[in-house]
Amino acid sequence: MNEITGPSSALTDYLRDVGINATTIARRVATRTASAQNQPQAQPEAGPSRPRNNSHRDVDEGYASDNLDEPESPPKKKKLSKAAEAKLKAKAKKKKAEDEDYDEDEDAYTALSKSAWSTPKPAAGSFADCATCEKQFTVTKYTMAAVPGPGFLCHPCAKASGTDPFKKSAAPRKRKTPAERRTVVHIEERSFPSLVSICIDVVARHIDDVEAFGDIGALNMEAISKALSKTRRLTSDNAPLFYSAENKRLSMYDATNLTPDAFTALGHLNPNLTTLKLDFCGPLNDAVMSSWTNSLPHLVSLELLGPFLIREAAWIAFLQAHPKMEAFLITQSPRFSLDCLAALIASSKTTLRRLRLREVGKLCDDFLEPIAEIAALEYLDLAEPAESLTDDAVIALLSKVGTTLTHLDLSGHGALTDDVLAHGLDPYAPALASLLLAHLPELTDAGVAAFFGACEGAPLVRLDLARNAALGTDALAAVLAHSGGALQALNISGWKDVGEVALSGLAGARELRTLDVGWCRAMDDFVMKKVLEGCRALVEIKVWGCNRVEGKWGATRRGVKIHGIESATVL
Amino acid sequence: MSDVEMAAAAETDWVRVTSDDGYTFLVRRKVANASETMRDMLDTAGNYAEAIARTCPVQQRGVIVEKLLEYMSFKAHYAEAGPRDEIPVQELMERIPPEIVLELLLAADYQNM
Repeated sequence: MNEITGPSSALTDYLRDVGINATTIARRVATRTASAQNQPQAQPEAGPSRPRNNSHRDVDEGYASDNLDEPESPPKKKKLSKAAEAKLKAKAKKKKAEDEDYDEDEDAYTALSKSAWSTPKPAAGSFADCATCEKQFTVTKYTMAAVPGPGFLCHPCAKASGTDPFKKSAAPRKRKTPAERRTVVHIEERSFPSLVSICIDVVARHIDDVEAFGDIGALNMEAISKALSKTRRLTSDNAPLFYSAENKRLSMYDATNLTPDAFTALGHLNPNLTTLKLDFCGPLNDAVMSSWTNSLPHLVSLELLGPFLIREAAWIAFLQAHPKMEAFLITQSPRFSLDCLAALIASSKTTLRRLRLREVGKLCDDFLEPIAEIAALEYLDLAEPAESLTDDAVIALLSKVGTTLTHLDLSGHGALTDDVLAHGLDPYAPALASLLLAHLPELTDAGVAAFFGACEGAPLVRLDLARNAALGTDALAAVLAHSGGALQALNISGWKDVGEVALSGLAGARELRTLDVGWCRAMDDFVMKKVLEGCRALVEIKVWGCNRVEGKWGATRRGVKIHGIESATVL
Repeated sequence: MSDVEMAAAAETDWVRVTSDDGYTFLVRRKVANASETMRDMLDTAGNYAEAIARTCPVQQRGVIVEKLLEYMSFKAHYAEAGPRDEIPVQELMERIPPEIVLELLLAADYQNM
């Protein structure tokens, strides 16, 4: 052997260590062909009536899985009656299935190695000649093969070679008996069936006979739809419960388990829908979209969460077929492109009121030009893009559509700065009631304070400025001075430096219903007490990460939920 | 009453469940506790009027309340069943007439069970 070796992988090293190399593999092949030729002699009793005898023997032996795949040639097959033949076939099929099962269980590598690098070991108790010292010795179950082979080592030689003959080889993986396999422990098994799930099962049982449910009209189908979605039990089987030709609106809150066919059926069975909302509509695909192109002629409002399988062409065809869309709200659609948007605008720019392209991967400044053509946009949500829009593009957009906007969400556009507030929102968006600008790290305390200080627009009802760590005391004071009397929902989570005095000012926001002051470090029990006493309409307050809030301000007014006090889970 | 007596009473005392149309059902507290909503209503720590009067109004028809209570008794009875014991859910399912199943579904959703 020459000394030059190339780089070798870990597997090669390992194989070399255990004695597998090209020579042993070649020998294995030779052994196999030899044994295949020997078989007829070895099994003289193997009659034609037991065609799978070879395999049986191999299975009993345990290891030689190599022979399992050998083609069988059951002779005299022609003489069998048809019934018997079918029986035999079924048997073989079953057997094959079992074998496949075994193959899965068996680790392919270990199965190969045992028979690969040794000639079959003589039976324990017989005599053999040692490969090294050539003395005769008695074969025991500890007898080891010589490395390199062929042959076997006597006990002293095996010991001398440095390997421990008594060391247990990696225990061969046992095949699980069918009984063992059946006793797999399912953790879910013991959860008590809820009445909701039992009812859903009853509904599924009678789904083809809607009359059986009595007068459905009086019931709130929306609530039923929510109850089903809560446990993700809305399926293709029970979805028809919500279908009807008279339906104008349809909402499904978890459509994960609906198949594309079910969505197509939805289109056909609700021909008069004007408003459709589907959350978690992942399975929705091109085929469904193209069927909806024809089957939902009256649709003017579409809200989808997660339509990520739909491709450009299908969007365009659908949007061209629905020329009077009033609301188009999609979230998480990486394939919605500029061309799709152009198709939407071209067909619906005069009617569109609400537009949401949230978490749309391809969103960029170019998208804003078509959006600017919309005549009277009220609701615009372009949040959480892959790449931020720029100041200039947003200002240009606001100058066109800003006057009618009441809801604007530009959260997550990391490149937007105070300029958007000063030159975009301030002059062009006077009607805003709901403004969401979460996670805009470029915003500054002074900029936001100046915007709210100078803003002459109507007070905001909902404001989300979460995760803008640079904002602080001045901004909050200006916000409360401008909108304090009307604010119903405020999120200033993550304003780490906002002062105690400014936070106390929250108590003046009489209409406040939900408040998130998480990670505002100055928040403490005294401020909490003032807020709880001042904001009589408060329903929910979040104080996650406010580690000075300990909940020791006395009684909390009933009906207020407080989340996130460190020392208590729920208060 | 000492705490021990309270705890003992809490297992065996009776609570009243009323329906919209005037039916009244008396059940063991253990059965009422099978519904999370009802358990919270009757929780003495909550200081609700329901807990003091030990009466739970359910805004449903009598027939619905009856089915709710049937399931709750069923659950209270089988909740401690061992892993080998069979829970006759199938039979329970057959006792729910389809005419009321949707109403029952909403009621069950409200009762959080």
